[in-house]
Amino acid sequence: MKNLNKKTLLAFLLTATILSCKKYLDVVPDSIATIESAFTLRTSAEKYLFTCYSYLPLDGSFNDNPAFNSGDEVWYMDPIRDVDPNYHNIARGLQNTDNPLGNFWSGTNRGKPLFQAIRKCNTFIDNVDKVPDLDQFEKERWKAEVIFLKAYYHFYLLRLYGPIPLTKENLPISASPEQVQVYREPVDSCVNYIVSLLDEASNNDMLPDRISGTENAELGRITKCIVKAIKAKVLVTAASPLFNGNTTYASLKDNKGRQLFDQTYSAQKWERAATACNEAIEFCQANGYGLSTFAGNTGYTLNDTTKLELDIRTAVTNKVNNPEVIWANTNSRAGDMQRYAMADIAPFTSTSNPKSIIAPTIKMAELFYSNHGIPITEDKTYDYNDRFALRTGGEGHKYYIAKGETTVKLNFDREPRFYADLGFDRGVWFGNWVNNYNTYAPTGLFYVQGRAGETAARQGASNYSITGYYPKKLVNIETTVAADGNITSNTVQYPWPEMRMADLYLLYAEALNELNGPGPKTNQWINAVRQRAGLKSVEESWSDVSYSKDPTKYQTKQGMRAIIQQERSIELMFEGQRFWDLLRWKTAHIELNGPVRGWDITQKDVVSYYKPTLLFNQRFDLRNYLWPIQLNELRVNKNLVQNTGW
Amino acid sequence: MIFSLLKSRGGLFFFASVFYCLNASAHNKVKPAGTTSAINYSAESNRLNVSAFLDKETEIHKAIHFKKEVRGTVSDSSGILANVSVYVKNQPKIGTATDQNGKYVLDVPDENSILVFEMTGYETLELPIKGKSVINAFLKVSHQGLDEVVVVAYGKQKKQSVVGSITSINPQELKISSSNLTQALAGKLAGVIAYQRSGEPGADNAEFFIRGATTFGYKKDPLILIDGMEYSTTELARLNVDDIASFSIMKDATANALYGARGANGVILITTKEGKEGRAKIDIRYEKTMSEATRMVQLADPVTYMKLENESVLTRNPLGILPYSQEKIDNTISGVNPDYYPTNDWQNQMFTPQTYNQRVNFNLGGGGKIATYYIASSMNQDNGNLKVDHRNNFNTNINLKTYTIRSNVSIKVTKSTTALVRLFGTFDGYTGPQTSGSAMYLNVMRTNPVMFKPYYAADSQHRFINHILFGNAEVGNYFNPYADMVKGYQQYSNSLMGAQAEVQQDLSGIITPGLSLRGMITTNRRANFSVNRAYIPFYYSTTSYDKISNTYRLNDLNADKGTDFIDFVPGSKSVLSTFHGELATNYNRNFGKNGITGMAIAMVQNDVSGNESTLQRSLPSRNITLGGRATYSYDNKYFLESNFAYNGSERFYKDQRFGFFPSVGAAWSVSNESFFDPLKNIFTKMRIRGNYGLVGNDAIGSASDRFFYLSNINMNDAAYAASFGTDGGYSRPGISVARYDNTAITWETARNSTFGLETTLFGKIDITAEYFTEERYNILMDRASIPNTMGLEGATPKANVGKSHSESVDISANYNQYFTRDFNISIMGNFTFARNKFKAYEEPQYKYPWSYRVGQPINQQWGYLAERLFVDEEEVRSSPTQVFGSTKTMAGDIKYRDVNGDGVINQDDMVPIGFPTSPEIIYGFWFTSAYKNFDFSFGLQGSARSSFWIDPASTAPFISYRYKTNDPAPDGVLLNNQLLKAYADNHWSEDNRNLYALWPRLSHNLNSNNNQPNTWFMRNGAFLRVKQIQFGYTLPANTIKKIGMSKFRVYFTGSNLFTFSAFKLWDVEMGGDGLKYPIQKSFTIGIDAGF
Repeated sequence: MKNLNKKTLLAFLLTATILSCKKYLDVVPDSIATIESAFTLRTSAEKYLFTCYSYLPLDGSFNDNPAFNSGDEVWYMDPIRDVDPNYHNIARGLQNTDNPLGNFWSGTNRGKPLFQAIRKCNTFIDNVDKVPDLDQFEKERWKAEVIFLKAYYHFYLLRLYGPIPLTKENLPISASPEQVQVYREPVDSCVNYIVSLLDEASNNDMLPDRISGTENAELGRITKCIVKAIKAKVLVTAASPLFNGNTTYASLKDNKGRQLFDQTYSAQKWERAATACNEAIEFCQANGYGLSTFAGNTGYTLNDTTKLELDIRTAVTNKVNNPEVIWANTNSRAGDMQRYAMADIAPFTSTSNPKSIIAPTIKMAELFYSNHGIPITEDKTYDYNDRFALRTGGEGHKYYIAKGETTVKLNFDREPRFYADLGFDRGVWFGNWVNNYNTYAPTGLFYVQGRAGETAARQGASNYSITGYYPKKLVNIETTVAADGNITSNTVQYPWPEMRMADLYLLYAEALNELNGPGPKTNQWINAVRQRAGLKSVEESWSDVSYSKDPTKYQTKQGMRAIIQQERSIELMFEGQRFWDLLRWKTAHIELNGPVRGWDITQKDVVSYYKPTLLFNQRFDLRNYLWPIQLNELRVNKNLVQNTGW
Repeated sequence: MIFSLLKSRGGLFFFASVFYCLNASAHNKVKPAGTTSAINYSAESNRLNVSAFLDKETEIHKAIHFKKEVRGTVSDSSGILANVSVYVKNQPKIGTATDQNGKYVLDVPDENSILVFEMTGYETLELPIKGKSVINAFLKVSHQGLDEVVVVAYGKQKKQSVVGSITSINPQELKISSSNLTQALAGKLAGVIAYQRSGEPGADNAEFFIRGATTFGYKKDPLILIDGMEYSTTELARLNVDDIASFSIMKDATANALYGARGANGVILITTKEGKEGRAKIDIRYEKTMSEATRMVQLADPVTYMKLENESVLTRNPLGILPYSQEKIDNTISGVNPDYYPTNDWQNQMFTPQTYNQRVNFNLGGGGKIATYYIASSMNQDNGNLKVDHRNNFNTNINLKTYTIRSNVSIKVTKSTTALVRLFGTFDGYTGPQTSGSAMYLNVMRTNPVMFKPYYAADSQHRFINHILFGNAEVGNYFNPYADMVKGYQQYSNSLMGAQAEVQQDLSGIITPGLSLRGMITTNRRANFSVNRAYIPFYYSTTSYDKISNTYRLNDLNADKGTDFIDFVPGSKSVLSTFHGELATNYNRNFGKNGITGMAIAMVQNDVSGNESTLQRSLPSRNITLGGRATYSYDNKYFLESNFAYNGSERFYKDQRFGFFPSVGAAWSVSNESFFDPLKNIFTKMRIRGNYGLVGNDAIGSASDRFFYLSNINMNDAAYAASFGTDGGYSRPGISVARYDNTAITWETARNSTFGLETTLFGKIDITAEYFTEERYNILMDRASIPNTMGLEGATPKANVGKSHSESVDISANYNQYFTRDFNISIMGNFTFARNKFKAYEEPQYKYPWSYRVGQPINQQWGYLAERLFVDEEEVRSSPTQVFGSTKTMAGDIKYRDVNGDGVINQDDMVPIGFPTSPEIIYGFWFTSAYKNFDFSFGLQGSARSSFWIDPASTAPFISYRYKTNDPAPDGVLLNNQLLKAYADNHWSEDNRNLYALWPRLSHNLNSNNNQPNTWFMRNGAFLRVKQIQFGYTLPANTIKKIGMSKFRVYFTGSNLFTFSAFKLWDVEMGGDGLKYPIQKSFTIGIDAGF
């Protein structure tokens, strides 16, 4: 008995000992990862660098690029299937403040959380010097890259929201509620800050001019060429009507009374833009960039027409050594998008067949020039009023339209880019499908058959073009569809061209025209782009009175502005540019306020098929020029003002 | 020992010695044990004293002299009862006690006397003699259960000295015709808010909260302790009622303070049975149950489906492409070829209306002077109501078998030392559908009824194929729920094994009287694994329909992918290990009228999980407690109690790790005061009590937030990867922050107080009423002041800033009446009303007062006030703008009220709507009666003051709906929501512009306007349900005794038979989750036999 009692007492003492030792609750081992761990080794710092890159918007995905579906270039079936509806809903006028579509402020509804991205960039810039095993050269290079990214994320937000808070330094996590209630800065301050960051990046000698020789591992990393080209784009954007003396936003003031949009137009902004464009072009050209032509080898002898088509198509989609693309975004490579763009040009059995859902509107088909290189409304020889009548393809169009097949007149007598960029019913589609490369016998080439019951026609609730057009431009010519229709197994994914030379040339032309008006200096840049597209110069094309209705149009600043704007819309169509352009030109409330039409794709017979069918009546209110800030963010931060009209 | 012989009722003490003396004179041979102590005790009790009795012995003898002899047998539901006191009413001196065979003989003075039968733990029974000479008595177990001793934190207390708020229930009252104990809680125990959302075997646990959920961390339900060890809800659900010795709910600080860190949400305390000294008693119970859905969701017929789907496209977009041709509709109506033009009633094709379950329990208890034992085992089999395709050689229906085994052995090592060993195991073996039964119900709700048949008969071309020809359409990417159900099965196995050793040492004779020591260690191992086995179905579509010959061909859709052999997919595995040790000393002594008890406890607990995904979760969870209790009582009138616990949890930073949780309480037994005597005719008993104290909660945030003071960094996050190079060949993962470190996070604390009143009216009606308030503070919540511009990622930083206030009233009343010896009734009712509100909630500065959460209940929903449907497009144009991002608002869509009048409907117009989602009132009413060998009982259970919402997304017809989490349908397959019959019958259409229709204008995709939280789809969750009706028949004791049995009862039980609610679409208790596996009603036949 006594014995037992002693044992119990002993047990009690033991337990008490354990309890008194508070270490019992120290269950966490010492070496748990903290944010400092990222900067103790080169390999982890590299991961952090890549993290900063990972926030780059996925512009090569039509579901994620705000400029792809939000405008008037393409349209979708209703009810929409297999496509993320967020940006398309912006095109349909459904943007709202409760839960904004494409919310890049907070990173929801297909927006990237760009303020998080900026915080990460700042953390990287603040800490990268601590990494012990990182060469000075790499440190400087990486820092320059991240400074660029920080600038770019600010620019992306500026383009969406206008005036934004600038996160020059990170606020500590323990910051007081007063500290975190930041203000939006006036547009000009934002631009100046972005430019100062870009200059800081490009002045860094360790940043390579371009990726050369290491494309396999480094293509997509930021270079001086990219920094300078983006600086040109930032300054052109800042000089454009949306941000340059825009009186629509006269009332946009914060609670300190600061005017967020400068109300006076400044020509000097265009001068600054032109200088930047010039600098960028010279620097890029010195580094081997220029307009590209088709240099590849299909294994077939190409006729000139097809060769020209491939010149145009490869400028965007060529993935290796493309001298045109200054910034190839390897983080967002166009892959699945090609499946959504490609038409079913031959019978298929695979369920991995082209989905062909991305549907260019008739408006886009009309935007392309006539074969004389001028708008179809300005071409005397182009029967504009009768453009919806039918015509049968003959010898002259045999590389473009199946010979002996009937299609709408609108598809005839157009510039080469029309045929390179668009697929359409009875249109020839060179390449992409096995056994579709025979240029000697054009009748042997596949062509799109889109009417009811035909190969490319609508078969179910999804997987069809609602307009009857296809953005052929987006499909890399080496993306091959197998005999059974399988496209996913051989899609050639190309890095998304964020910035290419044609874009830069047209920006320069625009800046020069705004600054000095038309003239050889201005016109040379647009003419270079036209030349690659197989068109004569602006001067030649417009001044030929045998077909031109307005031969002096190009001689005025205003006429030239319209020419440059149309040229940009055509050259950069489906590249996520037109939407931003319409906003910065302040023409969106005109351009995006009208009917959206396609062919009546449910029809079998050719006459009924080519009836333009109203798909939607687009509306664009003035408030839509800038994204709304989510209501909840305004509730949390009283110092933020909502954009006008929201 | 004392307590087992004493009976406190109506303020009087009766004790066996009296009967011993009386019996001696009545030639009775019974000699109850413990006589001496009883007399000693009674002397102290100052009620009846032995010497007084002895003085009057002569008088009694005189009284007995002329009297008549009455004899009989006393029994209870499980057999004969020994040691029952039997005496003449108002003449307690004339009495006896039953012998080992339950028999008594007593001489009574008067043929019109009334006999009183009394025994601890049973209801007192009074039977008039009325000249009869044989009076058999049947005693019912008392509704107060452990009338004298209640189980409290780390010990036991005399009921009359308990100051805390503890509700005990006789475990037998938790007996329901289900193998899930959690379903028995609603309406049975005052203070418990409970509801059940699903009827699927294995997933049908009820959710329950003590006095409502007052926090918003991940753990809102109470701490469950079985024999002192912490268990999960599922483990409680598996517990067998027959094995439970006591079941208590501890509701306030005094009761829970000792559980400090873990007690804030209340505690459920259960002890399992021990063997009793005596010969082995065997009890066997067998039940067979038929169950069926209380209510199935009604779907529209296939033709209506097609017509309305066409309407849904055209009504929104006149240019839209129709999903069904008129030809298909016409041919479907005419039934020309039901294979080519199928009409599926998927519910009927997949589910059987009824299913059968069975349960067997067995227990054996007994023992001798040295050791007692209790051994129990049970087997339950629960089947689902999914159909099985017998062309497969495996069972795809739910078949859940649960086995339990328990062995409790108690050994008297020495006179003062007791050792207990408890071993038990719970084992679940499950086969069933690959996902879950609810998934099957959800899948049916998302399948088009007219696209294809579940499977086709082989045509001539496929007649040699021996796999099932499942139906599909287009390229085979539609969802065939039948194929999905029968293509394979899941098998899982759960096991829980535990061992517990306890030593109790009485130190009375060694150190000081009244001191004892108790040590206990428990260890558990939990393990589970699951595997899936399935083939890939072959899909066929019908094609080449020939109208003239009325034939079609089958088209092979995935010949290259289908398999006719079964393949294996590994499932989840988990292993958990728990250790719990506690050491306590108890002191319990009376000094005259002063009673003192004291207790000190030290506890450690350690849980480790073997299959965690992150380092932080893999680290052990630990708790330590040092605690104590002291009570003082004076003269059985005044009681004081104080508890404290000092708790540590590993989750917090060093300086926040320990919390101190004290409580104090007092009680006053008013009816024991002499001045109360005049009122005793009405108030047989009256007692008031109150207490105040703190309890903590470390289960805050989410279970994965293991260490708030550490940041949680993912050093290899593929979501933040970037890749470079022509082919993206140079790729590195990124670094992300899941949580920033925060060393300030600490305990959530509840400061609560209770005021309780216990009374007995006319000796028959027991009423307990309690009023409880709680201020909970340091509730962990997201910082609301952090704008997105801060750029923080991962979890929003948190802080202990929330405060809530809750109050609750719970009342329970019992009434027992014996009308005759053979007929008695008992009625029990209880009522719980619990509500709460935020006192502090970090939120932004809203423009409008109705946006604030402060002052609103925790489960309050915000939404738009739906006025009616829009009349026409003109009204849409002229009304405040209603744009919600994905659809254009049209006539027939819901029109919301512009509460702030700014011309735009947005979040500023959202106001608190409806009641909270969790009910504020739960009540129950239970009636039991016995007549001769028959017994009958029924119970009603109700719930009130809750709201739920019909989900306008998951019920939206025709759309392709996917659940946000755990969607059971495979990725990529095409889904089509079904059309509820109620919607088909009552929706806005251009022909019938009903502005108050149940469903707004049809839409072919999810309409974001109508999908906003709003009052249109809000419903009242109140209901009253006939929870249980039971008829039983017990064979007469003398009949069965011949065949060696002590008890034999057959009974029939019906559960969930009727429900009264205004809501008819599905069982209202399922709330917004009505498309899942329905709640079941059941009919049970059972046999209970004792040997």
